[in-house]
Amino acid sequence: MKYVIVGNGIAGISAAEAVRQLDPSGHMTLIGDETALPYSRPMISMVLDGSTPLEKLPIRSPGIYDDLNIETRLGNRISEIDAGRREVVIEGGKRVPFDRLLIATGADARPVEVPGTDLKNIYTMRTEAHVRHIIQTLPTVRNPLVLGGGLVGFKAAYGLLKRGLKPTMLITSPYPLSMQVDEVAGKMILDELVRHGLTVRVGISVKAFEGSKMVEGALLSDDSALPCDLVIAGKGVVPSLSFVPQDRISVGQGIFVDEHMETSLKGVFAAGDVAEHFDIARKTRWMNAIWPEAAMQGRVAGMNMAGRNVSYTGSLSRNVMRIFDLDLMTMGLANPKADSEYDVLNAHGFRNNLYRKLVFRGNVLVGAVLVNGIEQGGLLLALIQNETPISISRKKLLEPGFNFRQIMN
Amino acid sequence: MDKKFEDLTITQDGQLLLEKAEKDQVETVWQRLQAQQPQCGYCDLGLSCRICIMGPCRVDPFGEGPQKGVCGADADIIVARNLCRMVAAGAASHSDHGRDLVEVLASVAEGKAPGYQIRSVEKLKQVATEYGIDPEGKDVLPLAGELAQAMMEDYGMRQKQIKLVSRAPQKRRDLWEKVGITPRGIDRETSEMMHRTHMGVDNGWQSLLLQALRNALSDGWGGSMIATEVSDILFGIPAPKPTTVNVGVLKKDQVNIIVHGHNPVVSEMILKACESPDMIALAKEKGARGINLAGVCCTGNELLMRHGVPMAGNHLMTELVLSTGAVEMMLVDYQCIMPSLGTVAACYHTKMISTSDKARFPGMEHREFHPENAEQMAMELVTEAVNNFVARGEVYIPVEPVNAVGGFSVETIIGALGGTPDPLLDAIKAGKIRGAVGIVGCNNPKIKHDYGHVTLTKRLIENDVLVVDTGCVSVANAKAGFKVPEAIEMAGPGLKEVCGSLGIPPVLHLGSCVDNVRILVLVSALANALDVDISDLPIAGAAPEWYSEKAVTIGTYFVASGVTTVLGPMPPIAGSMNVVKLLTEGLNDVVGATFAVEPDPEKAAVLIRRHIEGKRKALGLASVDV
Amino acid sequence: MKEVTVHPERCVGCMQCMIACATAHSQTRQVLTALMETPLPKSRVHVGAGLYNEGFPNRCRHCNPAPCMVACLAGAILRDPERDTVLVNPDKCINCAGCAMACPYGVIRFHEDSTAPPDKTVAVKCDNCDQRQAEGLIPACVEVCKSGALTFEESTDALKRKTDEVARSVSRGAEEMSLSPAFSLLTAAKRAQLSL
Repeated sequence: MKYVIVGNGIAGISAAEAVRQLDPSGHMTLIGDETALPYSRPMISMVLDGSTPLEKLPIRSPGIYDDLNIETRLGNRISEIDAGRREVVIEGGKRVPFDRLLIATGADARPVEVPGTDLKNIYTMRTEAHVRHIIQTLPTVRNPLVLGGGLVGFKAAYGLLKRGLKPTMLITSPYPLSMQVDEVAGKMILDELVRHGLTVRVGISVKAFEGSKMVEGALLSDDSALPCDLVIAGKGVVPSLSFVPQDRISVGQGIFVDEHMETSLKGVFAAGDVAEHFDIARKTRWMNAIWPEAAMQGRVAGMNMAGRNVSYTGSLSRNVMRIFDLDLMTMGLANPKADSEYDVLNAHGFRNNLYRKLVFRGNVLVGAVLVNGIEQGGLLLALIQNETPISISRKKLLEPGFNFRQIMN
Repeated sequence: MDKKFEDLTITQDGQLLLEKAEKDQVETVWQRLQAQQPQCGYCDLGLSCRICIMGPCRVDPFGEGPQKGVCGADADIIVARNLCRMVAAGAASHSDHGRDLVEVLASVAEGKAPGYQIRSVEKLKQVATEYGIDPEGKDVLPLAGELAQAMMEDYGMRQKQIKLVSRAPQKRRDLWEKVGITPRGIDRETSEMMHRTHMGVDNGWQSLLLQALRNALSDGWGGSMIATEVSDILFGIPAPKPTTVNVGVLKKDQVNIIVHGHNPVVSEMILKACESPDMIALAKEKGARGINLAGVCCTGNELLMRHGVPMAGNHLMTELVLSTGAVEMMLVDYQCIMPSLGTVAACYHTKMISTSDKARFPGMEHREFHPENAEQMAMELVTEAVNNFVARGEVYIPVEPVNAVGGFSVETIIGALGGTPDPLLDAIKAGKIRGAVGIVGCNNPKIKHDYGHVTLTKRLIENDVLVVDTGCVSVANAKAGFKVPEAIEMAGPGLKEVCGSLGIPPVLHLGSCVDNVRILVLVSALANALDVDISDLPIAGAAPEWYSEKAVTIGTYFVASGVTTVLGPMPPIAGSMNVVKLLTEGLNDVVGATFAVEPDPEKAAVLIRRHIEGKRKALGLASVDV
Repeated sequence: MKEVTVHPERCVGCMQCMIACATAHSQTRQVLTALMETPLPKSRVHVGAGLYNEGFPNRCRHCNPAPCMVACLAGAILRDPERDTVLVNPDKCINCAGCAMACPYGVIRFHEDSTAPPDKTVAVKCDNCDQRQAEGLIPACVEVCKSGALTFEESTDALKRKTDEVARSVSRGAEEMSLSPAFSLLTAAKRAQLSL
C-alpha cells in the first residue's frame, strides 16, 4: 500500500502516526513545503511575545521520520494531482504514485491587496519564518501597525505589547474578535488591551501603504494618514488548494470531506486547515482552521487511510487565550444572530471579573464564551461536541461551581 | 431582576437588596454557603469527633472504614457527645445573657447603674415571691438586690433545683424527678455537660442525652427564664404596640441606627439616647428630620415588644440591611452577629460598633458597655452616629414597611382573654381553635429565607391552629402581614372568629428567643387550668429554619417540657440510628414528647396538625383525621 | 494493573483526598511543612459539589486516546505506557490552556508548582502518584479515603463487585440495598431541603 501525505503540519504528521500504528509495513511518503520539523503553529505568537524561544516550536523529535519509516520530500509544494493516474506532481515535475492520498496542505495567510504591499516590513504571521523576520525588525520599530481584529491580528497586537511596543490595531468590526465573542466579552478584552497600551481604531481599514523602500506610513479608509514602520496583517487564511482538480474533488472554501475525512474522490482524503468539514454547532459546512481540529482530523484521516472505518462527525470552532490578566475561551456558535432559534443565557460576576455566555438550540448547547474561570471549559465543549441534551437546570452551567458531577448520570 | 434571588428568599426587600449587594460587589452568606459545598458528610452525620487529640476521628457510615474513634467511642457515642456539646453551648449563651441582666439588676439595687431602673415593680414582687423573698414592707431597690442575689444562687451549686422550675405543672415536675432530669443549677448543668463529654467520662449515649435534656431545662426554666423576667423587671412587661417591619423602616430623611444582638441592657440605653431631645436637636442640625432607631434580631425584638421600635429584618437580612447605604451606625453586642458585617459595612459609610467585652468582631470599633457607663456610652455613640449622617452616599430603601402588632407577653395574652386562660381553653374545647403551635428559631441559607416560617404559619392558621412566634420567625411572619387584625381573613373560620372577637391577630408575636420561655409559662398555665401535663395539650413546637446551637437547646427544652417539636433542617445525628430513634420516637416514653425532622413546611404542617388532633382525641375532645 | 477507581455514591465530601494529594506533591511531603512551602502545593484531585451538594472526587481518567494530549500545542503531554499514565511535562508546557479546553472532565488546573521551573505557571493534573508508586506506596488520595469512594484495585475486581451489587439489587428492594441507611437519610434530608 502506497501512502502519500502532502503537508508537514500537525494534520499530516498525526495522520502519518495513525497510519503507521495500524500499518507497520506500508510505504509512506511525506511531501511538505516547509523544511522545518513539524512545529506548533499557534506557538509562533508566543515566540513573537517573547515567552517562548524558537527552539521550543518543534513538536516532534528530529528522528520522527525515521521512527515512522517515512520517505520525505521537504521544501516542495505540489503543482497537480493526477486523478486518473493516481499520482501527485511535485513542482518541478517529479511524480509520486499513491494508493491513499492525504491532502493536508493547510492554508496561507490572505495577502493584503492594496498598493504598497511590496514595501519591506509588511508581514503576515503564519509561519515560523514570518515570526523570525518580524522579530529581527523589532529593535528599530517605533510605530507598529496591526491589521485585523481576528485571532492572528489579536495575537500579533498582544505579542507586540508584551515586547514593550505600543501598536495601533485597525479593525473593520466594532470590537476585536467579533467572530468569536459578543459585545460584553469583546469590551472586557478591549479594555484589558487598552489598559496595557493598545490603540484600537474600529470601522476602519488601509487604502494604501507609503514609503520608499521600507514602509513608512499607511493611508486609511477615512483619508487620514498613520505613520508606521512595521505592519502585521491578520486578515484570515486561504486554504492551499490551487493544485486540486476541482472537477474530480469537490471544493467549497476548503476541500469537502465526509465523516471519514474522505474527499469526493475515493482514496483521497483531506484534513486540517485545507479541509471543510461539517460544523457540529452551525449544522452546515464551515471552515474551522484551528490546531486541535487539524490534529484530530489528521489522526482520523490516517486511521481511515489505513483501512479502519472511523468516523469524525463534525468539526467545531474553539479557541483559548490568555491576555494579560484575562483569560478567554470561546467555542462553537458563540455569536448567533438575534434569532428565535437560539436561547442565549449569560452571567456576569463583577466581583471576580467572570463572564459566561451560553447559546442553546433547543435543549442542546451549541456555543459558549467564558471570560476567566476557563478551567471547566472542556466540559462545555464536550457537551457541544456530543450534542448532549441538557436535562439539568441551565443556570447551573453558568455558575463558577459547575463541575462534572452535575452532568454525571 | 435575576431570577436567582427569588430562589433565595420569599421577601421582596430581601430580593431587591440581594440585587443591590451583588451590584455593590458585597459577598453574602449565600455565596459563602455555596463556596462551602460539598460540606463534609462526616460532620453532617455527627460522625466526626475532635474532642481529644488522640483524634481527630471519624466513623465510616459505609461500614468499611473505621467504626470507632481512637478511644473506642462508636457512632452512637460520638453523635451523642457532639449533640450534647451543642446543647451546652446554647444553654451557656442564653444563661450568660441572663447573667448579664442579673448583674445589671444588682447594680441598679446598689445605685451603680445610671440610666437603668425598675420599670415593673409588679413583676419584681411577683418573681421575688417565687424566689421565697417576701416583698412586704421592702423598698424596691433593696428587694431588687435580694432577688438578684437569689438568682445568682440559681447559677451555682448550692441548690437542689432551679427556683423557677416550680412554675411547671406538678405532673411535669414529678416526671422530671422520676427521670432524673430536674435541673439543679444553671452553670452547673452546662459544666457537667462539658465534663461528661470529655473523653472517657460519660460513654452511655442515652445518659449523655438525658443530661442534654437536663442541661436544656436549666436554660429554659433557668437562664432564659431569668433573662426574660429580669428584662421585664428592668424594662417593663411588654404590652401590645403597633410597629412596622422590613427594610422600609429605615428612613431616607433621618439618622438610622440599627441595634443587633441580644441583650436589652445595651439596646434600651441606645433607645434612651435616641429619644433625648439633645440628640434629636443635633440630628436636625445635621439636616436630618430626626433619629430613627430600628432593630434586627433578638435585641430588636426586645425593643419591639416593649416600645414598638420597628425591626428592619431577621438573621439573613443583617448583611443586606447595610447595603441600603442608609445606616449611620450598627451597634452589636453578642450572638448571631456574623463576622462578615464589618466587611459589608466597609463598602458603605456605616460605622460598626461592638459593645460586649465577650464579643469582638473584625472591622468593628470596640466601645464597651458596662452598667456603670452604659447611659453615657450610649449618648456618645448616638452622637457619633448623628455626625455620620453627613457622610451618607446613595440610599436605596426599595420597599414600604409592613404594619404589625407585637408585645404579646403572657400577661398581655391573659389580659386579652379577660384575666384567665378560660376563653382560650373554651375555644380549644369547642374545636374552634384546634390547638396552638409555637413557631420559633432562626433563618438558615439552606432553606429559602422565610419560606419555611411563612408557609408553615399560613397552613396552620388556615386550619384553625393558633400560632405564637418568637425570634426570626416573628419577623418573617410580621413581614408577611400576619400580625394585623385584618390578617384574620387568612385564618380558618374558628380562629378567625375567636381572634376577631378578642381583637387580636391570628399570629401572636411573643418576642425574642429568650422569650420562648413565655411559651413555657403559657402552656403551664393552660395545663394547670385543665389539670393535665404539658404533654397532654394539643400543642406543638416548630423550628423550620433553625441554624444555631441555641436553637438545639430551645428545641430540647421544649421537648423535655412535653412539647413535640418539628425541626426543618436536620441536626447532625443521622450517623447514629439509635440516637435518631430515641429523639424521634423513644423520647415519647421518657418525656411524653419527641422531635421530628421535616424540611418541607407543607408536610410539617400536616405532621403537626395530625399530632394536635391526636392529643385532642386523647383528651376526649372532638378530633378529625388529618 | 491496579488503577484508581472512583465510587461516587460513597463520597461524603470531606476533601481529605485533596489535602493528601497536595501534600504528596509538595516538596516536604508532610502536611504541616507543605503548608509553608513556596509555591504552595495544590491538589490534583478536585472535590466538586453535585446538584444536591453531594461530594465527588473529580480526577484525571488518564484517557486513551487522551484529548488533552491530542490538543496540546506544545507537545508537552505524553503517555507513560508502563503505568498507563498521561503526564504533563512542565518544561514543555506553555500554559496555553488548550488542554483544559479539550478535557471533558475539567480536571486540569494552572498554577506554579514545585515540579515546574520556578515562577512558571503550567498545566497541572493527576500523575497517578507515579513517584509514590515507584516507592511501593499507593496513590495518596486512595490512602486517606475512609469511606471507600476511592479505591486502588484491578479494574476487573472493581467491576466484578459492581456487577454483584447490580445483580443483588435486581433481586432485592432498594431499601435493603442502601450501603448506609445513615448516609441515605442525610442525603434525603439534603435533597428535600434543596428542592423547596
